Amino acid sequence: MAINTDKNSYTIIFSVIMVLVVGSLLAFIAQGLKPTIKENERIEIQQNILYAMGVNENEEGSREFIAAEKAEKTFAEYIKKQLVIQNGEVTEDENAYLIDIKKEKNLAKDPSYSRRLPLFVGEKDGKTYYVAPIRGKGLWDAIWGYVALNEDMVVQGVFFDHKGETPGLGANIKERFFMDDFTGEKLFDADNNFVGITAAKGNADPKNDNKDDNEVDAIAGATITGDGVSAMLKSDLRLYVPYFQKLKNN
Amino acid sequence: MEHIELFFKSIFVDNMVFATFLGMCSYLAVSKKVSTAVGLGAAVIFVLTVTVPLNWLLDQYILREGALVWLGEEFADYDLSFLSFILFIATIATMVQLVEIVVEKFSPSLYNSLGIFLPLIAVNCAILGGSLFMQSRDIETLGLALNYGFSSGIGWFLAILAIAAIREKIRYSNVPAPLRGLGITFIITGLMAIGFMSFGGMLTGGDDAPKADETKTAVQQEENTNTTIEAIDEVVEVSTITE
Amino acid sequence: MGLLSKKDSKLILDPLADNNPITIQVLGICSALAITAQLKASIVMAISVIFVLGIGNVVISLMRNVIPSKIRIIVQLVVVAALVIIVDQILKAYAYTLSKELSVFIGLIITNCIIMGRFEAFALGNGPWRSFLDGIGNALGYGVILIIVGFFRELLGSGTLLGFKVLGDPIEKTGLYAIGYENNGFMLLSPMALIVVGIIIWVQRSKNKALIEEH
Repeated sequence: MAINTDKNSYTIIFSVIMVLVVGSLLAFIAQGLKPTIKENERIEIQQNILYAMGVNENEEGSREFIAAEKAEKTFAEYIKKQLVIQNGEVTEDENAYLIDIKKEKNLAKDPSYSRRLPLFVGEKDGKTYYVAPIRGKGLWDAIWGYVALNEDMVVQGVFFDHKGETPGLGANIKERFFMDDFTGEKLFDADNNFVGITAAKGNADPKNDNKDDNEVDAIAGATITGDGVSAMLKSDLRLYVPYFQKLKNN
Repeated sequence: MEHIELFFKSIFVDNMVFATFLGMCSYLAVSKKVSTAVGLGAAVIFVLTVTVPLNWLLDQYILREGALVWLGEEFADYDLSFLSFILFIATIATMVQLVEIVVEKFSPSLYNSLGIFLPLIAVNCAILGGSLFMQSRDIETLGLALNYGFSSGIGWFLAILAIAAIREKIRYSNVPAPLRGLGITFIITGLMAIGFMSFGGMLTGGDDAPKADETKTAVQQEENTNTTIEAIDEVVEVSTITE
Repeated sequence: MGLLSKKDSKLILDPLADNNPITIQVLGICSALAITAQLKASIVMAISVIFVLGIGNVVISLMRNVIPSKIRIIVQLVVVAALVIIVDQILKAYAYTLSKELSVFIGLIITNCIIMGRFEAFALGNGPWRSFLDGIGNALGYGVILIIVGFFRELLGSGTLLGFKVLGDPIEKTGLYAIGYENNGFMLLSPMALIVVGIIIWVQRSKNKALIEEH
């Protein structure tokens, strides 16, 4: 049973075998599970978009998406149109929700590229919702979300998510007590300038009764994540302003 | 400008030990004496400076989605990012053992002073943290990655040097017996971290803010420097919760 | 005495107090600081570490006679990273909601030095069953501290426990808040975790004088 584990030849053979075994095992598992994972992610996007426009199974205090099995059908039922805005031109694309915002943002670093902006037009109880995806950076990693607006760009509902914010602090951006505050907030100030919505500390309005101040109450202990939310709302929703202006003029 | 900003940001604002609390274990375990702390700190600087750019190359040309496109168009769809943990760790561990072998061969005296720390470094989460931050913060060029690795290393070095110096002095103080050693070190580190939060005011204005907002950020900057303690990491404003 | 011999039960019980991985061995501090702002996150992390350390120790222990000593660190890291990634991928495919909850902890587990520390110190020199017990014991000891810190930070920092408002509502001014109590928001900052651990060490060493360090 005594193998000389100090020999160089043994070390090399061992590492080659280990790399092969671990590498192929991981590749095998990743490849095998990829379709299921992709499908899960697709359903999740649909659930998120629906959540933002208020189609969810929220109960008092809890945050519940529409059930995964029903997501596909409900999505088709509520989302009337999926638009892609590029260079000011609006086209319809029924797979617009699969556009990878991260990829688009990377491509847009090249100034000659004009970003494709997906916008989902949904209808619920006779009201029209415009849901836009946003993406930005938190403290540790990416954060993203969906914002449902009405024709005047007043927020009707939001959904935020994150990859790795601190549990208990920054991770709370996906909790009801934070997201619900955004409903009714305006993106424009009193002089009609686009200012976004800021997650503000100590804004003397913790119950968020004032919907005209372009502010919501920040999460205690999560300044950087909160700033990330404010920044992504501002930078990404700004791009949709021309579309909404056109919408109003028509 | 970009380089200078990143340099100071990684040393003070995003200090590995005080802001993100990475590499705590070796920080606490090997800070009894200044001389050993310097040894470990130097080793961390070196390994971070080497592994972060290496992992940047790995990430850029192998791991991220579409990175394999240099092999040909048909590889454009591969996304190997699920392998990043394992590849980053492999790079780090390989580098550490490589360094160990090389140093042992060419400079036995340096090996004697540094040698015992090298295996410790492989398990120092500051090193892996450096590579993961590099990936998640989208550092754009190889030069910036090099800068980031080097300056984060310096930040860690400064931290362990400071605590080691304090621990050498505190030996002469009358610390309550049960707190001696580890206990008081924890508490001092906590206080130092609170102190380091004040560096948060150093850098203000988001990177993503569009150009049109420059005047606005300038105003914000002023406001921020006026606030006494602006936390780097996660600031609490008591008034918001209790208002 | 039943399932566990005296020696074996010592493996589990020792790390809970006198040989605690956090307060005595100084392992796994980083994660202990990062996630203890909330009790729930602390509990989830504790359970994940029990799982990974228990299984990882067994795997390493089974491999201990064939691992080349020169590259043992790489091998250990690869084993734990592979384990965690596989579990993550499987969860993503078959328990998507659960994986969303846990994804934040994946990176923290791989970089947790308690895992490497126990591989190195115990699993490389002991049989699988004993390694398994050692893994469970140390992970429990780690979890106990995590839960204590999480308990105090959440209670004093946000006035809640597991999300329930045990001290009343700070906005509506009910319960304790009615008589002027205020949350100490400072408790939510990670430096306070360091200080809480420092105090735990103080209490522990006052009770057991044998642990006191001679400078």
